[in-house]
Amino acid sequence: MTTILEKKVRVLDLSMGWAGPLLGMLLAEMGAEVIKIEDTQFFDWWRGSISMGPPEMQPIERASTFNTVNRGKIGVTLDLNNPRGIDLVKRLAATADILLENYSPGIMKRFGLDWDVLHSINPRLIMISMPSFGYGGPETNARGYGNTVEAMAGVTGLTRYHDAEQPYTLSNALGDPVSGLTGTFGVLAALHERERTGKGQWIELAQVEGAIELMAGPIVEYQLSGQEPRAQGNRNRAYAPHGIYRCAGDGAWIAVAAPTDEQWRALAAALGIDHLAEDSRFSDAARRKANEDALDAELNRAMSTMAIEDVLDRLKTAGLYAAPVNSAAAVLADPQITDRGYFVAVDRAVVGTHLYPGVVARFSHTPLKGDEPAPLLGEHNGDVFRGMLGMTDTEIAELEAAGVIGTAPRQYSKAS
Amino acid sequence: MRYRALSDIRVIDLTHFIAGPYATKLLADYGAEVIKVEPPWGEGGRKIGPFRANGEPSRDRGGLFAFLNTNKLGITLDLRDRPGRDALLRLLGDADLMVENFAPGTLAKLGIAPSELMARFPRLSIISISNFGQDGPDRDGILNDLTLYARGGWTYPVGEPNREPLTPPGSLAQYIGGLYAAIAAMQAMLARKIGTASGQHIDISLLEAAVATMIYETVTFQYAGVVRERAGRRFAVGPFLIVTLKCRDGYAGLQCVTDKQFEGLCDLMGRPEMARDQRFATALQRMVNNDALLEIVAAFFLKHDRGWLYREGQRRAIPLVPIPSIGEVLEWEQTKARGFFETIDDPELGRIRIPGAPLRLTSHRPEPSRPAPRLGEHNQEILGNRLGIDAAEIARMSAGTDSVARTL
Repeated sequence: MTTILEKKVRVLDLSMGWAGPLLGMLLAEMGAEVIKIEDTQFFDWWRGSISMGPPEMQPIERASTFNTVNRGKIGVTLDLNNPRGIDLVKRLAATADILLENYSPGIMKRFGLDWDVLHSINPRLIMISMPSFGYGGPETNARGYGNTVEAMAGVTGLTRYHDAEQPYTLSNALGDPVSGLTGTFGVLAALHERERTGKGQWIELAQVEGAIELMAGPIVEYQLSGQEPRAQGNRNRAYAPHGIYRCAGDGAWIAVAAPTDEQWRALAAALGIDHLAEDSRFSDAARRKANEDALDAELNRAMSTMAIEDVLDRLKTAGLYAAPVNSAAAVLADPQITDRGYFVAVDRAVVGTHLYPGVVARFSHTPLKGDEPAPLLGEHNGDVFRGMLGMTDTEIAELEAAGVIGTAPRQYSKAS
Repeated sequence: MRYRALSDIRVIDLTHFIAGPYATKLLADYGAEVIKVEPPWGEGGRKIGPFRANGEPSRDRGGLFAFLNTNKLGITLDLRDRPGRDALLRLLGDADLMVENFAPGTLAKLGIAPSELMARFPRLSIISISNFGQDGPDRDGILNDLTLYARGGWTYPVGEPNREPLTPPGSLAQYIGGLYAAIAAMQAMLARKIGTASGQHIDISLLEAAVATMIYETVTFQYAGVVRERAGRRFAVGPFLIVTLKCRDGYAGLQCVTDKQFEGLCDLMGRPEMARDQRFATALQRMVNNDALLEIVAAFFLKHDRGWLYREGQRRAIPLVPIPSIGEVLEWEQTKARGFFETIDDPELGRIRIPGAPLRLTSHRPEPSRPAPRLGEHNQEILGNRLGIDAAEIARMSAGTDSVARTL
């Protein structure tokens, strides 16, 4: 089967971490030729630190996260603090369709690679910049990563238990995947527009603004009610039961919700606690909500002696909202996820074969591809500089000798 | 705001609630013509709050609907009736995309299975968003935010180790599904334009979209052989300090990962020598001695205001932020200076500020958004003027349009 882009679109990926690299990977899934550019000293920080193991262990090739979001890319190194490195980026940009970066505002300009320069080299180029808080505004230079972006979008402030003050960050650094996905939509929209106009353009995505989209509900609620939305924890503001309950055994938690009287009675029957359905504390929706602490205690008592598989079975049969609170191991073994073959096995040098999240959108005719490994540092220097820029082996060796390219990490100098 | 990048794309939108409408909102905000097709009694998303306090619940829509459906045209069709289906088929004749999030099998039961539609309209791509995907043992299962987060792996690692896991707020994972669907829509268009494909069917599972963001769990688990457990206020225990910390006047979020950031943090605390302390000097040592490090940093934060910590942290290029309330997000000088929130004049809710279009395209200047359509607002424009259905027939087809009381 053919891919969507069939290598007809070339992407320069200067990004690091999760957000930008995810964007590049999603383009690679479509069959774009994605060239990831790193520096041998300031390599993608998601590779981790060389202090994490001796050189022969190649610690920066063992980062699960880096190896996940850079799949399907071609990896080259270039010293961006060296004019010769910048010159090579420009030569590649002249042949590219898309360039993506998520440096802090001002860095690309310092490199001499800001939009005006790149646009004059290649008017068809689409460039996306993904600063944390945007170009312009009093906080333009503030630093943010996925978790702090998530906080500034208002997510963290609402992630609290219903009965406690402490806020928590989510487990997936939400700002990062949301920015990567939103950015991908933007780049593809610009590519679509370019098919019509022939012109490239610069796209700016402030990561925090992409994340605030997902908080539109509370944002509007605040305006309509005049009050701060309250963190609900595992509860639902409108009804009970709605929570996370303990089943027998270690770490066996189940999520259960029963919005209507009918579902509540079905839940009580399924758990063999029918008498509670008629209990005056729980007999209608308002009373269940008013007596939610007691209700949750009863449900915990009932389920704590039952195996989670048994509870899930009964609740599923009764047509109720119920799900296991899946750990990592449980997600990988989830019957629905495995039945659809969602995870994909990829063999990667240094670390071997693991399962990685596969493609989400299943296309009937032009399937996406997620089964090629992430590149080693500088792995494809030869292919790119020889194959795409027509350089000779001598020239490449000379670049390597001058430290412009390389395949080994250089020591981070504390003085720099 | 409304851009024009996708002005040559026509979308028939059969979606309801959150994931599907967010996908088609992105298409509409960036210029596609999106015709939202609802049953005459309105899609369920109209009944989701928030509503105005102390007021009558808005009859036509709540606040989330007003956000999720900007820049769309709204018509009503009862797809259980022949005239409704006929009108849909005529609209599909001109369409590039159809997006739907009915339970799997619903379209087939209505006599408009995706395979038949694609055979009839070769240029048309159909995106189906569903809870679990179009196949598999749980294909027909029900799902809400609570169970989606739980099963997708989002809930297990959040919260205190010694109590129940904590569910993330809102409907974040559903939006992730919507983002994947919006991307798929563009991919389908490009497959036709740059590639050589005709229309095709695209199957998106909300569960898989949620799991896609769980790479720390699923992949790191395989590399390390260790299940990620709840780490309390810490994001995780690792070679970093990613943590929400109590300050004198609220909470701050700290993300200290690199050597340089750690040096900056030590300097901020007035203890520059700590960066060379044998317990913390390298990433590996900071992982091994994470508890001791956290104790020192937490004690320092507790004695200072979050605004001061923010300024001093940022001065040293450390990702450190004051954790804002929703009101503070809305009134944040940064989004104000950038004109991010857009004020719309919603026909039911009045003037409200909604998150604006996050991708700033530079090919042209955006225009103000059109508010979400009232139920059946564009029946005359689309069914009458475009399809030539006469007024009496439209009235007959949309009988019951005023009652937002049922769901399909």
